[in-house]
Amino acid sequence: MNQYAWLIRREFWENRAIWIVPAVIGAALTLGALFGKLEIGGLFTQTQAHAVGGVMLFAFGVTFFVVMNLYATWYLVDCLYSDRKDRSILFWKSLPISDTATVLSKLVTGVIVIPLVYFVAADVSTLLIAFIISVRARSAFGGALWQPDVWLQLQVLWLYLIVTTAIWYLPFIGYLLAISAWAKRAVMLWTILPPLALYLVERWFFGTHVVGTLLWDRTYDYAARAFSEPSGRGAWVTTVIHADSFTTPGSVWTLLDPVDFVTSPATWIGVVVGIAFIIIAIQLRLRRTET
Amino acid sequence: MSPLIEARDLTKKYGKHTALDHATFNVQPGRIVGLIGPNGAGKTSALRAILGLSSYQGHLRVLEREPFADRAALMLDACFIADVAVLPSWLRVDDAIDFVAGIHPRFRRERAAHLLAKTQIGGKRRMRELSKGMKTQVHLALTMAIDAKLLVLDEPTLGLDILARRAFYDALVNDYMDDTRTILITTHQVEEVENLLTDVIFIEKGRIVLDCSLEDIATRYAAVAVAEEQLAAARAHRPFHERRTLGKTVLYFERPDFDGLAAFGEVLTPSVSDLFVAKLSGIST
Repeated sequence: MNQYAWLIRREFWENRAIWIVPAVIGAALTLGALFGKLEIGGLFTQTQAHAVGGVMLFAFGVTFFVVMNLYATWYLVDCLYSDRKDRSILFWKSLPISDTATVLSKLVTGVIVIPLVYFVAADVSTLLIAFIISVRARSAFGGALWQPDVWLQLQVLWLYLIVTTAIWYLPFIGYLLAISAWAKRAVMLWTILPPLALYLVERWFFGTHVVGTLLWDRTYDYAARAFSEPSGRGAWVTTVIHADSFTTPGSVWTLLDPVDFVTSPATWIGVVVGIAFIIIAIQLRLRRTET
Repeated sequence: MSPLIEARDLTKKYGKHTALDHATFNVQPGRIVGLIGPNGAGKTSALRAILGLSSYQGHLRVLEREPFADRAALMLDACFIADVAVLPSWLRVDDAIDFVAGIHPRFRRERAAHLLAKTQIGGKRRMRELSKGMKTQVHLALTMAIDAKLLVLDEPTLGLDILARRAFYDALVNDYMDDTRTILITTHQVEEVENLLTDVIFIEKGRIVLDCSLEDIATRYAAVAVAEEQLAAARAHRPFHERRTLGKTVLYFERPDFDGLAAFGEVLTPSVSDLFVAKLSGIST
């Protein structure tokens, strides 16, 4: 096993929440499928069941994805701070592991390993739930979650989200690592304070909103860059169930916009800024051995 | 043989405070060196520089490497226990062994297992469940299982009771030390280490005030207990420190004139702790 494998294994020992939290979410959803009420508003037609099932699969994925992002953010804030706080950094630094390797192992854990763990947990639990529902439900709803096409689309969507968010939000990710390597205390507060201070100072003294706009755009432009509005025939599907109706995209394929994402300069400017922050984090890690 | 640690004009400043002030010293291979000084004298700053934990000014080579630029490579040949309480609380004993075995090419797992087998510490236990003495045993077992050329210990027994302290130093001398190794220990408790050292370096206010092997202390320093009536005559030999005891005054001399001093009483070699007090307090009565 090479050094990075050991370093990532180490992260699992320290942060057991990496797998406990998704396991708990999966278990809760599975219990819901086992004991919950299944027939929603009476009988379904095959088409209606298919639409509802698709939305449910998507909702399960979103649940995992939202919690994953909150956890990964917290992880990145804490990862280069906790061992300085308890002074165990003096043990880690007594081993032949470079500070670059340490910081990169935390980065990889935060942006790849944690999302993949949630991805696998989401897959395993939705498979279980689909199986349970097909056994329990007697109506057309029984097959609602057995949808290989939707399943496949969700796999692609997950992986696409993991890769594109890691790239697009690299400036934020790098910034969190730098603060985590730098803060002497109150690391959460320090992640918020500098951008807030910059924003307010700029607003009071210059009356401009450059910083605010930059942060706002980076936060909200992701959807516009990585996804597109589906158009054309079959792009949107409207399903009517009794008095209600809802519209869903016909498929994930028309939603993804990898070409715009990859060719957008904003994407790569972000990557450069992110790498700069990561280099700063490594330099801080070299110098700060105590909080 | 080139020195294992070579420091020339080693300086470290924290803002306006100078922790190390042009410190110059060498550590030769195969020695057990005590870096001794009062609290805040710059011991820890020196160690941090030597271990690559902090930047510095001046010339410093450890095992022919520049520590700050090359810490990870240095740690293949050097290891350290900076504080006994730094093993992470969440780490299990077995996992700690697995991890170091996986990371460190010079770690000998069977040796760590052998050292730990002598204790009553179960492999499944986490560090937070262990007492301070047990944690020290685990840390020492991990460190002693590494075939390193240099072992650095910073106040290694701070906060340990007398039994754990004694066990620590016994293990160090009996199970670890051989002529391929070098140990550098910092402490402010001189009495505890003076019997195991081969060399001492005294540091005060960031400056090296003495750098000497124990064999050389006998030729470089002398202490004579002088009766009151001979005090003036003895003082002509320019003692650097005086200490009044019952009825007599002990005078300490550097580069002494042994024949001349013999007239005033028995010429003794001062102990490391006496020399430490003498050197650091200068002329006083």
